[in-house]
Amino acid sequence: MLATVDGVDERDKVETISELRNSFSYGSRSNLNFKFVRDLSDNEFGDMVEELFDAVAHGGDAGDISGVADVAFRWQQKAYKNHLGDPNDFRYAYDDVPFTPMVKPLSEARILLLTSSGHFVEGDDPEPFGVKDMSQAEAEARIKESVKEPPTLSRIPIDTPSDQIRVRHGGYPVQAAIADHQVVLPHEHLRAMVADGLIGELVEDAYSFVGAAPQGLMRGKVGEEWAQMARDLHADAALLVPI
Amino acid sequence: METAGVPSTSVYVRSFDLHPKLMGLSRTVITDHPLGRPLGRPGDGARQRAVVERALSLLSAESQTIVDFGQHY
Repeated sequence: MLATVDGVDERDKVETISELRNSFSYGSRSNLNFKFVRDLSDNEFGDMVEELFDAVAHGGDAGDISGVADVAFRWQQKAYKNHLGDPNDFRYAYDDVPFTPMVKPLSEARILLLTSSGHFVEGDDPEPFGVKDMSQAEAEARIKESVKEPPTLSRIPIDTPSDQIRVRHGGYPVQAAIADHQVVLPHEHLRAMVADGLIGELVEDAYSFVGAAPQGLMRGKVGEEWAQMARDLHADAALLVPI
Repeated sequence: METAGVPSTSVYVRSFDLHPKLMGLSRTVITDHPLGRPLGRPGDGARQRAVVERALSLLSAESQTIVDFGQHY
């Protein structure tokens, strides 16, 4: 839905294709499922729309519109690769990275869950920028500020019922996570795997943060502190679910 | 994590499948899932758990390992 600005309906303005694409990325049509169209060229965007129209028409005839999601997903992949640019210029590429072998079988191991999903327990809201009960819309609107702030780690007791867990994140579409936290916070699956004897035990708390944070901090001070935390919690291994 | 001596394994969606290799992550499962659903669709507990099991199975790897989960969304 386009906004009315200073009494003028945005629809009365002539909009370029580029402006249209950009409007989905934190603009007047902000939609985190489709913010990727910002990173398509105008011609690619046109091709995507054409394919979506075809998929809708054919899917409607066939009574199965799953192909529509396939088209959107394929273009999402292309756009994010466009965004990455030349992999040789990727800022966070490393040649010499440590590798730690696992020293015990999974069935005897103590596992830590860490995700950048933006989950927190009801009543323990990290309150970004001191805002109480910040909405998802505000989180999206303040994304440029968020990426400059040190991340806050939210502690989620591993036995927390799902209906007491909340999620808010200005960087990705959270509706799937709201519908089912397990799409990115698999604490219930991990508990079930312990009960099934596949995992030895879990660290008593899972941890989540908003991954839209300064990457320099994540690589440096914050990353080192969290890794030390994992050691202090006697984790034998960590399951990482980045968004 | 690895620097601190804690083995790690991760799940990435296809759109970011180059990142684990470029960043040198130790163990990664790539899923053919859209942004925001790395483990699967809402309500698809079987797929979600299968992804988690695949990721954890990589902990036994002895060198950098990146695998495709291999099931379409």
